[in-house]
Amino acid sequence: MDFVTQSVIIGLTEHAPLVLAAIGFALIYRLTGLINVAYSETLTLGAYFAMWLNTTFGLDFYATLIPTAILSGLLSVATYVLIFRPAKHRGVGGLEMIIISFGLSIFMRHGLQFIFGYPVRFFDVPSPDTIWVLGVGVTSFRLVALVSVALLALLLYLFIQRSSYGLQARALSADEQLAKVSGIRPLVVSVMIWFVAGVAGGLAGAFYGVGSSVAPLLGWRQFLFILLVVLVGGAWGLGGVIAVGVATGILLTAMALTFGQILYAQLALIVAFIVLLKWQGRRLTETAKV
Amino acid sequence: MNIDWLDAFLITGLFEVVMIIGLALLLHLQLGLTRIANFGVVGFWGLGMYAFGVLYVKVDWPFGDPWQFLACAALATLVAGLAGVVVGWLIANLDTDGVLVGTLGFATVIAILATTEDGLTGGARGMGGLRIPFDVGTVKEDEFAWLLVLTAVVAVIFLYAWRVHRSPYGRLLIAVGSSEALARSLGKSTFRTKIGLFAVTSGAMGLLGAMNGAMVRYLDVGNLGVEITLATMVGLVLGGSVRVWGAVVGVVLSVGLFDIVISSYLPLPREWYTQTIPVLRQAAFGLALIIVLLFRPLGILGDMRRDKLMRKIHGR
Repeated sequence: MDFVTQSVIIGLTEHAPLVLAAIGFALIYRLTGLINVAYSETLTLGAYFAMWLNTTFGLDFYATLIPTAILSGLLSVATYVLIFRPAKHRGVGGLEMIIISFGLSIFMRHGLQFIFGYPVRFFDVPSPDTIWVLGVGVTSFRLVALVSVALLALLLYLFIQRSSYGLQARALSADEQLAKVSGIRPLVVSVMIWFVAGVAGGLAGAFYGVGSSVAPLLGWRQFLFILLVVLVGGAWGLGGVIAVGVATGILLTAMALTFGQILYAQLALIVAFIVLLKWQGRRLTETAKV
Repeated sequence: MNIDWLDAFLITGLFEVVMIIGLALLLHLQLGLTRIANFGVVGFWGLGMYAFGVLYVKVDWPFGDPWQFLACAALATLVAGLAGVVVGWLIANLDTDGVLVGTLGFATVIAILATTEDGLTGGARGMGGLRIPFDVGTVKEDEFAWLLVLTAVVAVIFLYAWRVHRSPYGRLLIAVGSSEALARSLGKSTFRTKIGLFAVTSGAMGLLGAMNGAMVRYLDVGNLGVEITLATMVGLVLGGSVRVWGAVVGVVLSVGLFDIVISSYLPLPREWYTQTIPVLRQAAFGLALIIVLLFRPLGILGDMRRDKLMRKIHGR
C-alpha cells in the first residue's frame, strides 16, 4: 500500500507538468498532423521567461505565470506565422516539416543562450514547505503545480470539447475545406490553437523550472515522453492524452522507486511505448491526429 | 613523413568532417532514397563506439593491435548492424511519426545505457584506455595516418552509395521511398528491404563510431547528444539529400566551415572557442535546416540526375 500511495502521490505531483505539456502538443498535432519538435523549446523558453521575470523584476513565482503564459503563447504563434504557415503554403512535405521543426528547435535552444547566458539558472524563490499527503512528503511548489495543472487541463479540455472555438478547431482538423465552407476562418482558429498550445507548454516549462533548474535542455529532455504520451493517448482524444500522461507519471515514479534509478524507469517506459507503437502500427498515429 | 605544415587541430577538424561525410552518405540511403527519417543516427554511431570501447578495454584479447582493433571494430559493427535490424523491424510498418519516435527513442536508450551501466562504460565519468591501433611516429603522425584510414573507409561507403544509385536495389529503395504501396503491389517486399537497409547502414554507422573511439581515446556520454545527428542531417539536407555528392558538398560547407575554417583559421578571441562558437555552430545548423527546406528543399545540388533526365525527355 505504501508503495502504491508513494507512486501515485509523487508521480502525480512530480510529473504533473508532463500532462499539461502533452495537452498543448496534442492540440497542434491533432490540428495540423505535425510533430512539432520545436514545441520542446516552448517549454524551455517558458521556464526562462518565468525565471527572468522572477529574478529581474522580483516577481513572485505565481505572479510570473500569467505573463509567462502570454509570452509563450505569442512565441508559439510566431513560430506558426513565420515558419510553419509559410512552409505549408510552399507545399513542404510532412517529413520535411518535421525536419524544419527539428531545425527550429535546435536554433531556439542555442539562440536563447545568447540572450539568457550559458550557465544553468535558478528561480529566486524561498525554500518550499513540505506538506504531508497520506504520509508522503511533497513540496508546496509541486502541490500547487499539481492543482494548477489539474485546473488548466480541465479548462483546456472544456475549451476544446465544449466551446464554439473548440468545435471550430476540431472541424478544421477534420476537414479544412469543409470547415472553410462552413464559415470557419482557418487562420484565426489556427492562431488560437497555437497560442493555447504555447500557453500550456510555457506553463509546463515554468513548473518544471521552479522544481529544479532552468537549462537549455529542459524541454528537450521531456520531449520524447510528451511525444509518446500524445501518440499513444491521442487515439482516445484529449481525455486519452490526459489519462496516459497521468499513468506515465505514476509508472515512471513506481519504476524509479523499484529500480532505485529514474533512468532505468525512463528506459523501460520508452521501450514499452515503442513496442506498443509497433504492435498498433499506423493505426495509433493516424487516430491520434484526428 | 613530414607533416609539420599540418596543424593538430586541423587533423581533428578534418577527421570530424570526413566522419560526418560518412554518416551523411549512409543517411542519404535512408532518408534521401528510402525516405526513412532516422533521427537516431547518434544512437547507432554511439553504440558502435561504446561496443568497441567495452570490447577493446574490458576483454582480455590473446592478441594485440592491429588484430585487437580489427576484432573489436568488426564486433562493434555487427552489434550496431543487429541493432539496425531490431530498430528496422520496429519502424518498418510505421509512418514518419512512428519512425521519429522509434529512432529518437533508440538514441535515448543508448545514451541512458551508456550512463547507467558504469561498470562497463564508465558512466558519466567516461572511459579511457582506447588508442589508434598502430604507431607510425609522433601522436600527430598517428592521427594523420588514422585520418587517411578513415578517408579510405568513407571512400568505400561513397562508392557503395554510388553503386546503389545505379543498381536494381537502388531503384527498389527509391520505389519504397516514393510509393511504398505501389512497390508492394509490384511484389516487392518493402518490409525486408527496409530491414536490410537499416542493418547495413546502421552497421556502417557503428564502424564509424568505433573508428572515432580510437581517435578520441576517451569516451564521454556527453557525445551522445543530438549534435552528431544534427551535423549529419544538416550536411545532407544542405548539399542535397537525394544526391550522393550532396552529403560531401553539404558537410564540407557546414561542418567544414565551423570545424576547420572557423576553428583553425579565423583570428577570434580564445575564450570564444569554449562556448560561443559551439553554441553559434548549433544555432547556425538549425537555421540552415529551416532556410534550406523552406527555400530549396532539394539542397544545393537539387534533383536526382535520373529525374532531371525524365523531365527533359517528357519536356517538363
